[in-house]
Amino acid sequence: MTGSDWLSYSLQDFIMFGPQVFLRLFMRLNQDIWPWTLVAVLLGLLVPFCLVSHKRRLRRLALGLIALSWIVSGYGFLVGYFGPVNWPAGVFGWAFVLQGSVFGLMTVAGVADHPEPFHEPSHEPDNGQYRKASRGLVVCWIVACLVLPWLPVAESGVWQALALFGLTPWTTAAISMLAISVLRGPWRWFYLTLPVLWVVFSAATFWVLQTLWLLAFPVATLVFAALGFWLSPRRAQSPD
Amino acid sequence: MALDRRRFLMGAGLVGLALQSPLLFAGSSSGAESLAISRRIPGTNEAIPAIGMGTWITFNVGGDPTLVEQRTRVLKTFFELGGTVVDGSPMYGTAADVMGEALTALDAEDRLFAATKIWTGDESATRDEAARSGRRWGVDRFDLLQVHNLRGWQGHLETLKAMKPEGEVRYIGITTSHGRRHREFEQIMEREPIDFVQLTYNVLDREAEQRLLPLAREKGIGVIVNRPFQGGSLFRRFQAESLPGWAGDAGVKNWSEFFLKYIISHPAVTCAIPATSKVDHMRENMGALYGDLPSPGQRQQMADYVGSL
Repeated sequence: MTGSDWLSYSLQDFIMFGPQVFLRLFMRLNQDIWPWTLVAVLLGLLVPFCLVSHKRRLRRLALGLIALSWIVSGYGFLVGYFGPVNWPAGVFGWAFVLQGSVFGLMTVAGVADHPEPFHEPSHEPDNGQYRKASRGLVVCWIVACLVLPWLPVAESGVWQALALFGLTPWTTAAISMLAISVLRGPWRWFYLTLPVLWVVFSAATFWVLQTLWLLAFPVATLVFAALGFWLSPRRAQSPD
Repeated sequence: MALDRRRFLMGAGLVGLALQSPLLFAGSSSGAESLAISRRIPGTNEAIPAIGMGTWITFNVGGDPTLVEQRTRVLKTFFELGGTVVDGSPMYGTAADVMGEALTALDAEDRLFAATKIWTGDESATRDEAARSGRRWGVDRFDLLQVHNLRGWQGHLETLKAMKPEGEVRYIGITTSHGRRHREFEQIMEREPIDFVQLTYNVLDREAEQRLLPLAREKGIGVIVNRPFQGGSLFRRFQAESLPGWAGDAGVKNWSEFFLKYIISHPAVTCAIPATSKVDHMRENMGALYGDLPSPGQRQQMADYVGSL
């Protein structure tokens, strides 16, 4: 095909499914894995407390759970449910699995996370910056964990369409952006690459489907990424 | 009432005609109005109903059992109301698998005019692609195989031409949509021995009237029309408007019939293939298969009316 042929295609031409089919993916997943959904909710709420812990072991447990969330939501939701009706979603699914695996390995190896993300160095006066940052992270995480899952419910009108952290890729990608705050410099950029592509893909899909409530997912992902940088130790070490 | 010889023979003739053709009296409930509108395929004179069914988006429901069952009801309604032509493509995700499940559930292969497309850049994979689609649909062979959007058309068309005399497919063709590559399309219609073309034509997208539809008539090529509702946007644009007062005279009872009857009343058009995921909408679409068709003058009125809104 020539360039002008490609230009004659609209975004709509690449979306081969309707909003009903898409929104039912959330319901089907929740029905199929019940009652494991409860475990996902509990683990999702546990992660931020571990993430700001004084103990590095707990912080690594949190990062491991986040890595696992990428793998589960990528393979479970994207490859297993969404991929059959939309093949690019399957490709993203494998990318989620890769991101989660690499990130998980780096966490185990101890090279990705900052050694003291939310603790004031001994040579600095305790002015509360680190405590505020860690509390901010916990509050943001919990609020997001409780609010974002309801977006597909708002769109579909069916409460079984909850999009839970660790099970569905949009909530997982958005909330786990907050973990940028505990990562070392270069790892933040590695961590951010896939979510940026994911945001573009998701926003385009939701726009074509006219599922406007769901556009809050890509927006939240970008906001939480910015928040992750803002809450990071570098920021805490340079209070004005 | 006395039954004279003339009336008896007329009645017997009508009954015989109804038994001969599944297109007649399908979903019969309203006498003469229930005669389904059919069109002859130029190459063979075989009659097919002028309204078929597309599967783009609507049948791509993955492995969702609830939606598969719901789409099966849509297909059942289509057959009950006299439809036979179903069009798909391997490009449409799981639509082919869902169609296969629905056909199996309805045991309806004998009522089906199965049309799909060859959609691969590998021009040597025509037969494999057709066989794969056949397995997904659960049909032994397709009635019509079309090269999708001219993708790798040279190689695919050569193979399709070879498959036809061997009985691997009954009709062959090419497709385009959204008015793309009409110049190349026209050249293929001029040169190649194809039975069908599939193109976009509706009351707003009328470019095909200029060259492709007259050429199809001239060359004896059947025409299947995709995007008859412009992907649903015709409804979004016009459904709030009222039908013109003369719509009834043109055989039109609702907007669905308005859009579809405009298309199938063009003398070059063999069949329009609207897609829907709802039984009610299928009933509305199939309404266009019955009753009067607009005259050439009324067709012009229809286009003018839509243009004026």
